[in-house]
Amino acid sequence: MDGVIPGDSPWRGAQTAGHTPRTSLMTDSRPGTSIDPSLPLRAKAGDRQAFAQLVDLMYPRSLRFALHMVGNREDAEEAVQDTFVRVYHSLGRFRDDARFEPWLFRILANRCRSLMEKRRRHAVVIQYGEVPERGGPPAAETERDWTDEVYRILATLPVEQKEAFLLRHVEDMAYEDIAAVTGVGLSALRMRVKRACDVLRARLSEVIRDE
Amino acid sequence: MSEGPDLLIERVRSTLREAPGTVPDPRRVAQLLSAVWESPTPSALRRWLDAWRVPSVSGVRATVLAGLALFAGFLTRGVVGERQAPEPFTATGSQTGEFPVQFASATLSETAPVLTQFVLDDTKAQRVSLVGDFNDWAGDSTPLTRLESGVWTVSVPLPPGRHVYAFLVDDTLLVTDPRAPKSGDADYGREGSVVMVFAR
Repeated sequence: MDGVIPGDSPWRGAQTAGHTPRTSLMTDSRPGTSIDPSLPLRAKAGDRQAFAQLVDLMYPRSLRFALHMVGNREDAEEAVQDTFVRVYHSLGRFRDDARFEPWLFRILANRCRSLMEKRRRHAVVIQYGEVPERGGPPAAETERDWTDEVYRILATLPVEQKEAFLLRHVEDMAYEDIAAVTGVGLSALRMRVKRACDVLRARLSEVIRDE
Repeated sequence: MSEGPDLLIERVRSTLREAPGTVPDPRRVAQLLSAVWESPTPSALRRWLDAWRVPSVSGVRATVLAGLALFAGFLTRGVVGERQAPEPFTATGSQTGEFPVQFASATLSETAPVLTQFVLDDTKAQRVSLVGDFNDWAGDSTPLTRLESGVWTVSVPLPPGRHVYAFLVDDTLLVTDPRAPKSGDADYGREGSVVMVFAR
Protein backbone atom coordinates (compact mmCIF):
# COMPACT_ATOMS: atom_id res chain seq x y z
CA MET A 1 0.00 0.00 0.00
CA ASP A 2 1.38 3.35 -0.90
CA GLY A 3 -0.44 5.23 1.80
CA VAL A 4 -2.06 7.68 -0.57
CA ILE A 5 -5.74 8.36 -0.19
CA PRO A 6 -7.37 8.43 -3.59
CA GLY A 7 -9.03 11.70 -4.37
CA ASP A 8 -12.39 10.16 -5.02
CA SER A 9 -12.16 7.78 -2.12
CA PRO A 10 -14.86 7.98 0.49
CA TRP A 11 -12.04 8.02 3.03
CA ARG A 12 -12.04 11.80 2.99
CA GLY A 13 -9.78 13.61 5.37
CA ALA A 14 -7.90 10.50 6.29
CA GLN A 15 -4.27 10.72 7.26
CA THR A 16 -1.66 9.19 5.06
CA ALA A 17 0.48 6.34 6.24
CA GLY A 18 3.43 8.67 6.20
CA HIS A 19 1.89 10.62 9.03
CA THR A 20 3.01 8.81 12.13
CA PRO A 21 2.01 10.65 15.26
CA ARG A 22 4.24 10.08 18.26
CA THR A 23 1.95 8.05 20.42
CA SER A 24 1.66 4.76 22.13
CA LEU A 25 -1.71 4.36 20.49
CA MET A 26 -0.25 2.92 17.35
CA THR A 27 1.32 0.00 19.13
CA ASP A 28 -2.04 -1.10 20.45
CA SER A 29 -3.93 -1.09 17.19
CA ARG A 30 -3.52 -4.80 16.59
CA PRO A 31 -6.68 -6.80 16.34
CA GLY A 32 -7.39 -8.85 19.39
CA THR A 33 -5.55 -6.58 21.79
CA SER A 34 -6.58 -7.94 25.13
CA ILE A 35 -7.83 -5.69 27.86
CA ASP A 36 -6.98 -6.15 31.48
CA PRO A 37 -10.38 -7.13 32.94
CA SER A 38 -9.72 -4.95 35.95
CA LEU A 39 -9.54 -1.80 33.82
CA PRO A 40 -13.29 -1.47 33.10
CA LEU A 41 -14.03 -2.23 36.75
CA ARG A 42 -11.62 0.44 37.93
CA ALA A 43 -13.15 2.88 35.46
CA LYS A 44 -16.58 1.91 36.71
CA ALA A 45 -15.42 2.71 40.24
CA GLY A 46 -14.54 6.22 39.10
CA ASP A 47 -10.87 5.82 38.22
CA ARG A 48 -10.39 8.29 35.36
CA GLN A 49 -6.90 7.06 34.67
CA ALA A 50 -8.29 3.59 34.04
CA PHE A 51 -10.86 4.99 31.65
CA ALA A 52 -8.14 6.94 29.84
CA GLN A 53 -6.21 3.68 29.46
CA LEU A 54 -9.29 2.01 28.01
CA VAL A 55 -9.59 4.82 25.48
CA ASP A 56 -5.90 4.58 24.73
CA LEU A 57 -6.21 0.84 24.08
CA MET A 58 -9.46 0.78 22.18
CA TYR A 59 -9.40 4.05 20.24
CA PRO A 60 -7.36 2.74 17.28
CA ARG A 61 -9.58 -0.27 16.70
CA SER A 62 -12.71 1.74 17.27
CA LEU A 63 -11.61 4.37 14.77
CA ARG A 64 -10.69 1.74 12.20
CA PHE A 65 -14.00 -0.06 12.54
CA ALA A 66 -15.97 3.19 12.38
CA LEU A 67 -13.97 4.42 9.42
CA HIS A 68 -14.66 1.28 7.43
CA MET A 69 -18.30 1.38 8.42
CA VAL A 70 -19.16 5.01 7.72
CA GLY A 71 -16.56 5.71 5.04
CA ASN A 72 -15.14 9.06 6.14
CA ARG A 73 -12.93 10.14 8.98
CA GLU A 74 -15.04 13.01 10.23
CA ASP A 75 -18.07 10.83 10.84
CA ALA A 76 -15.90 8.02 12.18
CA GLU A 77 -14.31 10.28 14.79
CA GLU A 78 -17.72 11.63 15.72
CA ALA A 79 -19.06 8.11 16.17
CA VAL A 80 -16.07 7.05 18.26
CA GLN A 81 -16.22 10.12 20.49
CA ASP A 82 -19.94 9.74 21.00
CA THR A 83 -19.39 6.08 21.80
CA PHE A 84 -16.82 6.73 24.51
CA VAL A 85 -19.00 9.45 26.03
CA ARG A 86 -21.85 6.96 26.20
CA VAL A 87 -19.60 4.24 27.54
CA TYR A 88 -18.34 6.55 30.27
CA HIS A 89 -21.81 7.44 31.42
CA SER A 90 -23.02 3.85 31.18
CA LEU A 91 -20.19 2.24 33.13
CA GLY A 92 -22.50 1.98 36.13
CA ARG A 93 -24.56 -0.56 34.18
CA PHE A 94 -21.55 -2.55 33.01
CA ARG A 95 -21.70 -6.00 34.59
CA ASP A 96 -18.62 -7.00 36.50
CA ASP A 97 -18.46 -10.35 34.73
CA ALA A 98 -19.05 -8.93 31.23
CA ARG A 99 -16.40 -8.40 28.60
CA PHE A 100 -15.67 -4.80 27.72
CA GLU A 101 -14.83 -5.16 24.05
CA PRO A 102 -18.16 -6.52 22.75
CA TRP A 103 -19.98 -3.99 24.89
CA LEU A 104 -17.98 -1.13 23.44
CA PHE A 105 -18.39 -2.36 19.88
CA ARG A 106 -22.12 -2.81 20.33
CA ILE A 107 -22.49 0.86 21.21
CA LEU A 108 -20.08 1.85 18.45
CA ALA A 109 -21.87 -0.23 15.82
CA ASN A 110 -25.14 1.41 16.77
CA ARG A 111 -23.62 4.84 16.48
CA CYS A 112 -22.21 3.98 13.07
CA ARG A 113 -25.55 2.67 11.85
CA SER A 114 -27.29 5.81 13.06
CA LEU A 115 -24.77 8.03 11.32
CA MET A 116 -24.97 6.02 8.11
CA GLU A 117 -28.73 6.28 8.13
CA LYS A 118 -28.53 10.01 8.68
CA ARG A 119 -26.01 10.42 5.86
CA ARG A 120 -28.01 8.16 3.59
CA ARG A 121 -31.08 10.34 3.96
CA HIS A 122 -28.95 13.38 3.25
CA ALA A 123 -27.25 11.73 0.29
CA VAL A 124 -30.56 11.00 -1.38
CA VAL A 125 -31.09 14.72 -1.62
CA ILE A 126 -27.67 15.82 -2.76
CA GLN A 127 -26.93 12.93 -5.10
CA TYR A 128 -30.19 12.93 -6.96
CA GLY A 129 -29.66 13.70 -10.61
CA GLU A 130 -26.00 12.78 -10.72
CA VAL A 131 -24.92 10.74 -13.71
CA PRO A 132 -24.33 7.16 -12.57
CA GLU A 133 -20.96 5.64 -13.22
CA ARG A 134 -21.01 3.29 -16.20
CA GLY A 135 -19.00 0.22 -16.87
CA GLY A 136 -17.21 -2.13 -14.54
CA PRO A 137 -14.47 -1.24 -12.12
CA PRO A 138 -11.21 -0.09 -13.66
CA ALA A 139 -8.52 -2.68 -14.09
CA ALA A 140 -6.08 -2.79 -11.22
CA GLU A 141 -2.56 -1.86 -12.17
CA THR A 142 -1.09 -1.02 -8.82
CA GLU A 143 -1.55 -1.75 -5.15
CA ARG A 144 -3.43 1.49 -4.89
CA ASP A 145 -5.98 0.24 -7.38
CA TRP A 146 -6.37 -2.87 -5.29
CA THR A 147 -6.95 -0.79 -2.16
CA ASP A 148 -9.43 1.45 -3.95
CA GLU A 149 -11.28 -1.58 -5.19
CA VAL A 150 -11.46 -3.14 -1.74
CA TYR A 151 -12.90 0.09 -0.36
CA ARG A 152 -15.30 0.36 -3.25
CA ILE A 153 -16.63 -3.16 -2.82
CA LEU A 154 -16.82 -2.81 0.95
CA ALA A 155 -18.93 0.31 0.52
CA THR A 156 -21.39 -1.61 -1.65
CA LEU A 157 -21.94 -4.42 0.84
CA PRO A 158 -25.18 -4.42 2.82
CA VAL A 159 -24.44 -2.83 6.17
CA GLU A 160 -25.12 -6.00 8.16
CA GLN A 161 -22.71 -7.98 5.98
CA LYS A 162 -20.06 -5.30 6.15
CA GLU A 163 -20.40 -5.08 9.91
CA ALA A 164 -20.12 -8.83 10.38
CA PHE A 165 -17.18 -9.11 7.98
CA LEU A 166 -15.25 -6.28 9.66
CA LEU A 167 -15.80 -7.64 13.14
CA ARG A 168 -14.81 -11.16 12.12
CA HIS A 169 -11.97 -10.65 9.69
CA VAL A 170 -10.55 -7.24 10.54
CA GLU A 171 -11.16 -7.07 14.29
CA ASP A 172 -10.69 -10.82 14.79
CA MET A 173 -13.72 -11.20 16.99
CA ALA A 174 -15.16 -14.58 17.84
CA TYR A 175 -18.64 -15.24 16.50
CA GLU A 176 -19.96 -15.36 20.05
CA ASP A 177 -18.68 -11.84 20.63
CA ILE A 178 -20.09 -10.63 17.31
CA ALA A 179 -23.43 -12.06 18.37
CA ALA A 180 -23.20 -9.96 21.53
CA VAL A 181 -22.40 -6.90 19.43
CA THR A 182 -25.12 -7.33 16.85
CA GLY A 183 -27.78 -9.29 18.67
CA VAL A 184 -27.90 -11.74 15.76
CA GLY A 185 -27.67 -15.52 16.01
CA LEU A 186 -24.49 -17.40 15.17
CA SER A 187 -25.76 -19.11 12.04
CA ALA A 188 -27.07 -15.86 10.61
CA LEU A 189 -23.77 -14.19 11.38
CA ARG A 190 -21.79 -16.92 9.65
CA MET A 191 -24.04 -16.53 6.64
CA ARG A 192 -23.48 -12.77 6.57
CA VAL A 193 -19.72 -13.19 6.74
CA LYS A 194 -19.82 -15.87 4.06
CA ARG A 195 -21.86 -13.69 1.73
CA ALA A 196 -19.53 -10.76 2.23
CA CYS A 197 -16.55 -13.02 1.48
CA ASP A 198 -18.28 -14.38 -1.60
CA VAL A 199 -18.82 -10.89 -2.99
CA LEU A 200 -15.27 -9.85 -2.24
CA ARG A 201 -13.85 -13.02 -3.80
CA ALA A 202 -15.96 -12.74 -6.92
CA ARG A 203 -15.18 -9.11 -7.62
CA LEU A 204 -11.57 -9.06 -6.48
CA SER A 205 -10.70 -12.21 -8.40
CA GLU A 206 -11.09 -10.15 -11.55
CA VAL A 207 -8.73 -7.54 -10.15
CA ILE A 208 -6.14 -10.18 -9.33
CA ARG A 209 -6.34 -11.66 -12.81
CA ASP A 210 -5.49 -8.26 -14.23
CA GLU A 211 -2.46 -7.79 -12.00
CA MET B 1 -0.54 -13.57 -10.23
CA SER B 2 -2.70 -16.22 -8.68
CA GLU B 3 -4.14 -16.42 -5.21
CA GLY B 4 -6.51 -18.86 -3.66
CA PRO B 5 -9.74 -17.68 -2.17
CA ASP B 6 -8.48 -17.70 1.42
CA LEU B 7 -5.37 -15.79 0.49
CA LEU B 8 -7.55 -13.25 -1.20
CA ILE B 9 -9.59 -12.66 1.94
CA GLU B 10 -6.37 -12.53 3.90
CA ARG B 11 -5.14 -9.81 1.59
CA VAL B 12 -8.38 -7.89 2.03
CA ARG B 13 -7.95 -8.22 5.77
CA SER B 14 -4.43 -6.81 5.59
CA THR B 15 -5.56 -3.96 3.39
CA LEU B 16 -8.30 -2.95 5.77
CA ARG B 17 -6.20 -3.34 8.89
CA GLU B 18 -3.49 -1.13 7.50
CA ALA B 19 -5.80 1.49 6.05
CA PRO B 20 -3.90 4.77 6.38
CA GLY B 21 -6.82 6.74 7.68
CA THR B 22 -7.07 4.58 10.77
CA VAL B 23 -3.91 5.95 12.38
CA PRO B 24 -5.16 7.86 15.40
CA ASP B 25 -4.14 11.40 16.13
CA PRO B 26 -3.04 11.79 19.78
CA ARG B 27 -4.47 15.28 19.91
CA ARG B 28 -7.85 13.94 18.84
CA VAL B 29 -7.72 11.38 21.64
CA ALA B 30 -6.92 14.13 24.13
CA GLN B 31 -9.88 16.09 22.86
CA LEU B 32 -12.05 13.03 23.12
CA LEU B 33 -11.13 12.56 26.77
CA SER B 34 -11.82 16.19 27.49
CA ALA B 35 -15.20 15.82 25.82
CA VAL B 36 -15.89 12.79 28.00
CA TRP B 37 -14.92 14.58 31.21
CA GLU B 38 -16.94 17.64 30.29
CA SER B 39 -20.01 15.82 29.00
CA PRO B 40 -23.09 16.15 31.17
CA THR B 41 -24.52 13.01 32.67
CA PRO B 42 -27.42 11.97 30.44
CA SER B 43 -30.87 12.10 31.88
CA ALA B 44 -32.65 8.98 33.06
CA LEU B 45 -34.84 9.23 29.97
CA ARG B 46 -31.79 9.31 27.70
CA ARG B 47 -30.26 6.27 29.41
CA TRP B 48 -33.56 4.44 29.14
CA LEU B 49 -33.78 5.22 25.44
CA ASP B 50 -30.21 4.09 24.93
CA ALA B 51 -30.97 0.82 26.67
CA TRP B 52 -33.90 0.30 24.34
CA ARG B 53 -32.14 0.99 21.10
CA VAL B 54 -29.62 -1.84 21.19
CA PRO B 55 -29.16 -4.02 19.37
CA SER B 56 -32.29 -3.56 17.31
CA VAL B 57 -35.58 -1.79 17.59
CA SER B 58 -38.73 -3.83 17.30
CA GLY B 59 -41.96 -2.45 15.91
CA VAL B 60 -43.46 -1.95 19.35
CA ARG B 61 -40.34 -0.25 20.61
CA ALA B 62 -40.21 1.92 17.51
CA THR B 63 -43.79 3.04 18.14
CA VAL B 64 -43.03 3.91 21.74
CA LEU B 65 -39.86 5.72 20.72
CA ALA B 66 -41.75 7.63 18.04
CA GLY B 67 -44.26 8.78 20.65
CA LEU B 68 -41.48 9.85 22.94
CA ALA B 69 -39.75 11.63 20.09
CA LEU B 70 -42.97 13.52 19.35
CA PHE B 71 -43.27 14.52 22.96
CA ALA B 72 -39.61 15.56 22.99
CA GLY B 73 -40.29 17.63 19.91
CA PHE B 74 -43.04 19.48 21.73
CA LEU B 75 -40.69 20.04 24.62
CA THR B 76 -37.91 21.49 22.49
CA ARG B 77 -40.36 23.65 20.55
CA GLY B 78 -41.52 25.18 23.78
CA VAL B 79 -45.03 23.78 23.57
CA VAL B 80 -44.49 21.96 26.84
CA GLY B 81 -42.26 23.50 29.47
CA GLU B 82 -39.44 25.95 28.88
CA ARG B 83 -36.67 25.57 26.36
CA GLN B 84 -33.38 24.72 27.95
CA ALA B 85 -30.11 25.49 26.27
CA PRO B 86 -27.34 22.96 26.78
CA GLU B 87 -23.91 23.85 28.02
CA PRO B 88 -21.86 25.50 25.26
CA PHE B 89 -18.61 23.81 24.45
CA THR B 90 -15.94 24.57 21.94
CA ALA B 91 -12.28 23.79 21.49
CA THR B 92 -9.45 26.04 20.51
CA GLY B 93 -5.89 25.43 19.59
CA SER B 94 -7.09 22.81 17.22
CA GLN B 95 -9.39 25.38 15.66
CA THR B 96 -6.43 26.76 13.85
CA GLY B 97 -4.76 23.44 13.27
CA GLU B 98 -5.32 20.29 11.36
CA PHE B 99 -8.47 19.12 13.07
CA PRO B 100 -11.18 21.70 13.62
CA VAL B 101 -13.04 20.58 16.70
CA GLN B 102 -16.35 21.74 18.00
CA PHE B 103 -17.88 19.12 20.22
CA ALA B 104 -21.15 20.89 20.65
CA SER B 105 -22.51 24.36 20.59
CA ALA B 106 -25.59 26.15 21.76
CA THR B 107 -26.76 29.68 22.22
CA LEU B 108 -27.07 31.06 25.70
CA SER B 109 -26.43 34.74 25.23
CA GLU B 110 -23.90 37.09 23.78
CA THR B 111 -21.94 37.17 27.02
CA ALA B 112 -22.30 33.66 28.37
CA PRO B 113 -18.95 31.92 28.88
CA VAL B 114 -18.02 29.27 26.37
CA LEU B 115 -16.08 26.23 27.51
CA THR B 116 -12.82 26.41 25.59
CA GLN B 117 -10.21 23.70 25.34
CA PHE B 118 -6.47 24.28 25.27
CA VAL B 119 -4.02 21.61 24.23
CA LEU B 120 -0.23 21.48 24.39
CA ASP B 121 1.85 18.61 23.09
CA ASP B 122 4.92 18.40 25.34
CA THR B 123 6.04 15.03 26.65
CA LYS B 124 9.04 16.42 28.52
CA ALA B 125 7.14 18.88 30.67
CA GLN B 126 6.57 18.05 34.31
CA ARG B 127 3.95 20.72 34.85
CA VAL B 128 2.01 23.00 32.52
CA SER B 129 -0.31 25.87 33.39
CA LEU B 130 -2.47 28.10 31.26
CA VAL B 131 -1.91 31.80 31.76
CA GLY B 132 -3.67 34.66 30.05
CA ASP B 133 -5.64 37.82 30.39
CA PHE B 134 -8.58 35.81 31.67
CA ASN B 135 -6.75 34.67 34.82
CA ASP B 136 -4.46 37.67 35.26
CA TRP B 137 -1.54 35.56 34.03
CA ALA B 138 -1.51 33.70 37.32
CA GLY B 139 0.76 30.72 36.89
CA ASP B 140 -0.91 28.46 39.42
CA SER B 141 -4.59 29.05 38.75
CA THR B 142 -5.18 26.90 35.66
CA PRO B 143 -3.05 23.74 35.56
CA LEU B 144 -3.30 21.42 32.58
CA THR B 145 -3.80 17.67 32.91
CA ARG B 146 -1.32 15.31 31.31
CA LEU B 147 -2.78 12.42 29.33
CA GLU B 148 -1.13 9.09 28.60
CA SER B 149 -0.13 10.24 25.14
CA GLY B 150 1.89 13.14 26.53
CA VAL B 151 -0.66 15.74 25.57
CA TRP B 152 -1.59 18.37 28.14
CA THR B 153 -5.12 19.69 28.14
CA VAL B 154 -7.51 21.88 30.07
CA SER B 155 -10.94 23.35 29.38
CA VAL B 156 -11.91 26.70 30.83
CA PRO B 157 -15.04 28.83 30.44
CA LEU B 158 -14.21 32.06 28.65
CA PRO B 159 -16.44 35.00 27.81
CA PRO B 160 -16.82 35.72 24.09
CA GLY B 161 -14.11 37.93 22.70
CA ARG B 162 -10.39 38.01 22.05
CA HIS B 163 -8.08 36.52 24.64
CA VAL B 164 -4.30 36.44 24.79
CA TYR B 165 -2.72 33.47 26.49
CA ALA B 166 0.37 31.28 26.78
CA PHE B 167 1.47 28.08 28.48
CA LEU B 168 3.73 28.18 31.51
CA VAL B 169 5.89 25.06 31.40
CA ASP B 170 7.57 23.82 34.59
CA ASP B 171 6.86 27.17 36.24
CA THR B 172 9.67 28.83 34.33
CA LEU B 173 9.20 28.66 30.57
CA LEU B 174 6.50 30.68 28.86
CA VAL B 175 5.59 29.21 25.48
CA THR B 176 3.02 30.23 22.91
CA ASP B 177 0.51 27.84 21.42
CA PRO B 178 2.04 26.48 18.20
CA ARG B 179 -1.43 25.99 16.73
CA ALA B 180 -2.75 29.47 17.44
CA PRO B 181 -2.01 32.88 15.91
CA LYS B 182 0.43 35.12 17.76
CA SER B 183 -0.63 38.35 19.38
CA GLY B 184 0.95 41.60 18.37
CA ASP B 185 0.85 42.90 21.92
CA ALA B 186 2.87 41.67 24.88
CA ASP B 187 0.73 41.45 27.98
CA TYR B 188 3.30 39.45 29.88
CA GLY B 189 6.46 41.01 28.58
CA ARG B 190 6.50 38.82 25.51
CA GLU B 191 4.27 37.69 22.71
CA GLY B 192 1.32 35.45 23.47
CA SER B 193 -1.20 33.45 21.49
CA VAL B 194 -4.68 34.58 20.57
CA VAL B 195 -7.95 32.73 20.86
CA MET B 196 -11.19 34.18 19.59
CA VAL B 197 -14.21 32.96 21.51
CA PHE B 198 -17.52 33.43 19.80
CA ALA B 199 -20.89 33.54 21.45
CA ARG B 200 -22.92 30.43 20.81
